[in-house]
Amino acid sequence: MSAEIYLDYAATSPLDPAVAAAMSDCLAREFGNPSSQHAAGKRARALVEAARAEVAARVGTAPDRIYFTSGATEANNLALKGSLARRGARAHLVTSTIEHKSVLDAARALEESGVAVTYVPADSLGRVAPDDVARALRAETALVSIMHVNNETGVIQDIESIGALCRERGLTFHVDAAQSVGKVPLDLGASKVDLCSLTAHKVCGPKGVGALYVAAGVVLAPQMHGGEQERGLRAGTVATHQAVGMGKAYALADAREAQRLAALRDELWRRLGAIPGARLNGDPGRRAPHVLNVTFPGAEGESLRLALRDLAVSAGSACAADSPEASHVLTGMGLSDALAASSLRFSVGRFTTEAEIERAAERVAAEVERLRALAPRSPEWCRT
Amino acid sequence: MEYTPEVVRRFDSPRRAGELRAGLPGLVSGEAEDRTLQVWVHFQLQVIDGVVRAARFAAFGCPHTIAAASRAAEWLEGRPASDVARLDVRAIASELGLPVEKLGLLLRIEDAVAACGRALHKYVGKD
Repeated sequence: MSAEIYLDYAATSPLDPAVAAAMSDCLAREFGNPSSQHAAGKRARALVEAARAEVAARVGTAPDRIYFTSGATEANNLALKGSLARRGARAHLVTSTIEHKSVLDAARALEESGVAVTYVPADSLGRVAPDDVARALRAETALVSIMHVNNETGVIQDIESIGALCRERGLTFHVDAAQSVGKVPLDLGASKVDLCSLTAHKVCGPKGVGALYVAAGVVLAPQMHGGEQERGLRAGTVATHQAVGMGKAYALADAREAQRLAALRDELWRRLGAIPGARLNGDPGRRAPHVLNVTFPGAEGESLRLALRDLAVSAGSACAADSPEASHVLTGMGLSDALAASSLRFSVGRFTTEAEIERAAERVAAEVERLRALAPRSPEWCRT
Repeated sequence: MEYTPEVVRRFDSPRRAGELRAGLPGLVSGEAEDRTLQVWVHFQLQVIDGVVRAARFAAFGCPHTIAAASRAAEWLEGRPASDVARLDVRAIASELGLPVEKLGLLLRIEDAVAACGRALHKYVGKD
């Protein structure tokens, strides 16, 4: 079997060598605690603040609006629970059925503490309609949380319109933008977003670090206690090398790369779309450049994934990959369990080559044909 | 999901996959499905002089289903027709190292082979 082709950048991405170098240098030289007042601490603090400035610059805001976390999952939890946890039964949250598990599970945890939650469904193209969000609002709604780029389909949600309707009503608007940086423009300073979750490892940065953007005037209750780090919002010693890695990754995450990624994705779809019956999932007119989600009717999902084990691709979200259930995003768009299971998410990134796209498409075509040939007269439900 | 080397080997090159030519003498078939488990299996047996001369399977399902159906077809071929009802999917599961949670899928293999047995009974009855 040939070497693995990595097409799972929406799950995580390889560390950029420049990021690795920056982190390595930091680890080798600067061990100080960024909260310490001595010289070693101040040097570490300067590195953290420089990284914060890089992150802030990439998303169009001021450094003091950025709070480092352990990743987007923590940022999502902090945004939702920090906004609502103390409001209890008086609070209402509006989110969508196609959010990342870290939002959905945080919402369910809030429900258990008495928060009312409305899950707005997506349409068949994976879009959450601003009008549907507006209809879900109640007098007691305190927070709206809608993702920017869907991690499974790449569909870009209309956060401008949703932000506008939240602003009109004085509601806090949270956006999970874990898939956005370096792929689609994100200018938080000019947006109507109040809280925004960010991560490093989707843009060739390290795992284990992310950030929450908190707009001026938005107050959150800390969810971690034990120190005044991150201006009291997130206790715990800031991992200097992780922050440095995120800063470097964001400095490198130029959205101009998006054009190359879109070309790779389109070429992959041109080839995969030639497979009989292959269906593209998600609005082709509102997609991030790096994600392609395709259904191959008649090729059972688990078998397809084993057959394609030389390709690193996902069936839905990597965060739910151990679950035998079909993708909640695809079934939420109206796909049957069989079709959702027969779907693969391909995601390209900085180090993806045209040759890899060509080879991957050949492998998918061959295995889909082989699996279909194993069940030539299967019932219709296997394909619909 | 983890797969044993035997499951992977049989999944990559499933023996006895395919179809026997329609109209062959002594040809019977049976199938079973479970939409919830996303599995469909179909078996064809050619029985001549009371012996399963050929067995083939078709399957829409997970790698364990394909591997187990392949092993079942292999087991059936060459056996007396009276053995068809004795197919033991649990023994196949054990031989292939299948996880317990997949046993529900294997019961569909047993059902499909049992359907072949019933078809065979009718066929012999007509004879």
